[in-house]
Amino acid sequence: MKHNYKSIGRCLRTLGVLIGMMFMPMTSAWAEDAPAPATEAAAPATEAAPAPEVAAAPAGPQPLEERLQLCAGCHNPDGNSIIPENPKLSGLDAKYLLRQLKDFKSGDRTNDIMSGIIGMVDESEFKDLAAYFNEQKRSEGVTEKPELAAQGKQIFDEGIIGSAVPACSGCHNEDGSGTNKYPRLNGQNPVYVANQLKNFKSGARKNDPKAVMQTVAKRMNDAEIEAVAEYIVTLKEAQ
Amino acid sequence: MMKTLLSICVALLLPLQAVAADAYVPKVYGKKGYVWDEMTPERVEVLRLGGDPVKGKEAFRGCRGCHKADAAGVREGVYPRLSGQHTSVLIKQITEIRAGIRLNPKMLPFVEDPAIALEEIGDIAVYLNQVESLRENGKGPEDMSAKGKKLYFANKCDTCHGKNGEGDAAKAFPVLAAQHYGYLMREMKLIETGARGNSHPDMVKAIAKFSQTDREAVADYLSRLPDYRTLAK
Ligand code: HEC
Ligand code: HEC
Ligand code: HEC
Ligand code: HEC
Repeated sequence: MKHNYKSIGRCLRTLGVLIGMMFMPMTSAWAEDAPAPATEAAAPATEAAPAPEVAAAPAGPQPLEERLQLCAGCHNPDGNSIIPENPKLSGLDAKYLLRQLKDFKSGDRTNDIMSGIIGMVDESEFKDLAAYFNEQKRSEGVTEKPELAAQGKQIFDEGIIGSAVPACSGCHNEDGSGTNKYPRLNGQNPVYVANQLKNFKSGARKNDPKAVMQTVAKRMNDAEIEAVAEYIVTLKEAQ
Repeated sequence: MMKTLLSICVALLLPLQAVAADAYVPKVYGKKGYVWDEMTPERVEVLRLGGDPVKGKEAFRGCRGCHKADAAGVREGVYPRLSGQHTSVLIKQITEIRAGIRLNPKMLPFVEDPAIALEEIGDIAVYLNQVESLRENGKGPEDMSAKGKKLYFANKCDTCHGKNGEGDAAKAFPVLAAQHYGYLMREMKLIETGARGNSHPDMVKAIAKFSQTDREAVADYLSRLPDYRTLAK
């Protein structure tokens, strides 16, 4: 069923609603498509914050340790996700994390899974979650395609002059460690990285504030995207 | 008054944000009837604000992917060397590229608002004027500097670009010394044909009678000149 929804593409958010509903019928209104009623319905849900009836996923803000159990299922307790599609959150800039969470909540960034999950999390929890994952140490990764990674290194360090792709290292740093303006990439799961680049390219992800990543990705073909993703996973933060 | 000017600039730039979001479909470039050194409102505002090199270094991060961390560009000259260029020239070029007057589709999305804010232009320009490039610039395939030097002075290029290719900061005439050969060759062609969009009319005249080998000789001569800042010391 999940797979069917994915292939339809336009129903991405609907799946989010479904996942949300499975855990908590009331806040699922957050993710609904019609904007006006959604906000109306959401307001009383958060205000009332009724005593939790469903022990597994009570409404309203949760203490950090309990909320982390939800995230850990997909992103690992230390934020170093081992599921290829799920990003490592460890060591990402806290402001970057905060903005992504807000964008998932507002619908500025969508993903069939995360959009549903975020409906369960109260906005007041975002800051602590961001701070927690920011403090975790990014784990190292390995590539299963070293030859591809070697091609990717060229793109990462030098860009592609013919199609005016700027070197990724220019913004994200040579070691991929990033800054407060450009997110950390080192050791990131290659499937996730390639997905993001394809989403930036197609415009499915367009919450990058200056649209620079969309511009970069639009100049790349799929082979180049796969190659650079394989190199990124091998990057280790310089000491 | 200046506040109003700024808000006008910002208002003018707002529609560009939408363009940037859809990205890489360049608009129509070049401005017919370009008057040399005509001040765009944005340029007036950038000059008024001045710049801070520390902030400029940070803002330049978004440019390093092409122009490189030391602003040396690439030897083949696809990306020019920016280090040591006059602040006034950098501001003129950047604001005119943003305004669509100078053609540069490769770079535009990265320098357009909001990728770079108006306030950051002066910062970047001041920083670039001071930065030292570590890598050498690209030279011509063979040393033609004797011929190039003759042509350079015989055609009065030095009246604007200086005896040492150091340009003129006050008049916004660019530094040419130690620039990449490939870039100099391309720009002379673009200026001659008008494809660059923002050239000095006298420069267009001066370059019009140059043959291909003349251009090669002058570009080679200029590429072999030392960074003018090393002469002042
Ligand atoms: C059911 C699995 C699942 C759960 C549970 C989950 N996530 Fe995610 N998360 C994902 C997936 C999948 C993505 C990738 C989204 C995409 O491809 O755009 C993601 C992406 C993210 C991102 C974006 C990271 C980046 O680099 O841009 C953040 C931040 C995030 N999740 C935080 C959380 C937090 C905090 C929790 C706990 C409240 C959580 N996630 C729970 C699956 C999950
Ligand atoms: C001009 C600066 C710039 C360049 C060059 C650049 N990026 Fe980015 N990149 C960004 C910014 C800014 C973001 C953050 C977008 C956001 O906040 O949503 C980003 C985000 C990303 C992300 C998403 C990270 C995440 O955790 O979800 C990936 C993947 C990425 N970039 C890969 C690359 C690759 C690969 C290259 C080179 C081909 C590259 N970038 C070149 C500025 C840049
Ligand atoms: C995608 C690659 C790319 C990026 C990113 C880029 N540039 Fe450029 N830039 C170019 C190219 C190509 C040229 C030469 C265009 C031509 O031939 O006229 C150029 C030319 C310039 C010039 C004119 C130099 C001269 O001598 O007249 C300036 C100034 C400049 N860039 C500044 C910047 C700044 C500042 C940034 C960051 C905000 C930036 N560039 C980002 C590709 C890029
Ligand atoms: C009247 C002054 C003037 C004269 C004479 C002149 N130039 Fe220029 N030149 C300029 C200006 C001004 C620019 C920058 C374009 C602009 O912004 O208008 C320029 C740009 C250039 C550039 C591109 C530099 C860059 O960084 O993009 C080259 C190369 C160049 N000139 C070579 C020459 C040569 C060779 C001659 C002699 C044949 C010459 N110029 C004569 C004013 C002049």
